[in-house]
Amino acid sequence: MTAIKRNSLILLAVCVLALAPTGLPPYAMTLLTEALILGLFAMSLDLMVGYTRLLSFGHAAAYGLGAYAAGNLLLHTSIPLVFAVLLAALFSGIVAIGIAWVCTLASGVSFSMLTLAFAQLLYAVAFKWTAATGASDGLAGIPRSAGPFGITVFAGRAGFYYLVLACLVAAFIFCRSLVQSPFGAVLRGIRENEAKTLSLGYNTRRYKIAVVAVSFMLGGLAGALYAPFAGFTNTELLFWLFSGQVLIMVIVGGAGTLIGPIIGAAFFMLVSNLLSSWTDSWALFFGAIFILFVLFAPQGIWGLATRWRSLSSTG
Amino acid sequence: MALLELDGLTRRFGGIVAVDEVTMRVAAGEVRAVIGPNGAGKSTLFNLITGVTKPTSGTVRFDDHALTGLSAYSVCQRGVSRTFQITALFPEMTARENVRLSAQARHARRWQPWGGGAVFADAETRADAALERLGLTQVAHRPAGLLSHGDQRLLEVAMALSQQPRLLLLDEPTQGLSVEETEQAVDTLSTLLADGAMTVLLVEHDMEVVFRLAHMITVLHRGSVIADGTPEEVRSSEDVQRAYLGGLA
Repeated sequence: MTAIKRNSLILLAVCVLALAPTGLPPYAMTLLTEALILGLFAMSLDLMVGYTRLLSFGHAAAYGLGAYAAGNLLLHTSIPLVFAVLLAALFSGIVAIGIAWVCTLASGVSFSMLTLAFAQLLYAVAFKWTAATGASDGLAGIPRSAGPFGITVFAGRAGFYYLVLACLVAAFIFCRSLVQSPFGAVLRGIRENEAKTLSLGYNTRRYKIAVVAVSFMLGGLAGALYAPFAGFTNTELLFWLFSGQVLIMVIVGGAGTLIGPIIGAAFFMLVSNLLSSWTDSWALFFGAIFILFVLFAPQGIWGLATRWRSLSSTG
Repeated sequence: MALLELDGLTRRFGGIVAVDEVTMRVAAGEVRAVIGPNGAGKSTLFNLITGVTKPTSGTVRFDDHALTGLSAYSVCQRGVSRTFQITALFPEMTARENVRLSAQARHARRWQPWGGGAVFADAETRADAALERLGLTQVAHRPAGLLSHGDQRLLEVAMALSQQPRLLLLDEPTQGLSVEETEQAVDTLSTLLADGAMTVLLVEHDMEVVFRLAHMITVLHRGSVIADGTPEEVRSSEDVQRAYLGGLA
């Protein structure tokens, strides 16, 4: 598929998403909003997993940090919703620098285990630090604060949806620019041969810390949007199960494509909703779907789609 | 004054002394080969110079600045580029992208996280020049992982060359090549080095390659230098005959 074709397809998708509030019932709008938030979250992980081959088993940490930070800002200050969300994302990114500094002391499986350890550490902290996290009760009644200048448009269902959509589109443009930049070229080098990239004169550890920080910032943005979307946060957002789910979204959607993980998140939402209305052991079936993808379509949904398109266009 | 100075360089791995009190000079414009039987410490010596391995004792000086203890990327940023004994490439990128990423490392804005048209254009110019010098222009668009082994070896040299290094370290550039491929690679390399503009330190197993390319030879045996001189001097040294060349003569 050519770049122009791909861009017009993406543009078309954004237009359809922008029109969604005019035709969809409230329940579907809520699901779609959550799917976009999860899509943003999965895309943020793709920077690490797909572009740098940094397999994180603890990306829920980014989401949880963003969600709790936004929750606290919205509950205890009068900072407008938009600014609270952005500040929370920034907070998640800054915390990530410390986490990444430690995790990048190791590589491969040890790196993954350290990310998991950090996420579980934050999970444990969230349980104990009642003042900041509400412990097992979580934070409830998180408002969608008005402003700046008294704007209340983001408080409504459609308005909040547009805020999420705008964040996703902006983050996508940002990520695409990043992966196509000189910085992104170095990430590809690290992905394919880190020792060689180092010997070419790149301080690979610094690049890895930077990409983890950006990934956490955008993952934190997703979490920060989730808190006022749901109106509450709880420790589930930091649990390892969620880290595993987002990794599945990235792989099923197609790692290293940015678009793929967004589709993967929507697919995950759709299938888990359909399956859970039909059986309680839906995770078992989703696990089977995941295994099928890993075995037969490791390039994911988006990889299959682009391959099918290029096959059909060449005849 | 020599460009590269090694003084008493030693590296122990447990009870084994891989590199033992090596003192060596490489003058600017010189092509020097380090030879020696398997396990003589040649690759460890390269790793000590390039910061991959830290020395147990001794110093490495480059252009009168200490390199000892610097990390691999800093050593490279000071103008020392290397190739690896076992081909190290980015297999899914095209040959041109491989060299471009290498050349990009020399750009002040190599880390720029947006745009980068100017950085890429500059790196591409250097990459294309390096590919042409090694006769790889024809295969530049192919993924590096799909190139012939001979072209992969030369691609690694092109990557190092695109950085316009002041010292080039080649770790067995003809490793694993057929007789014909070796012939071609040595022709290409000798053309490349003919103008004497480049300082090269070469590890090589193939004696014919060494005698065709090198002006000076250092012979390592069990981590120590046992001979150092012109190819003629080394060829006639009795120590070397015993330790290494004996089997061939």
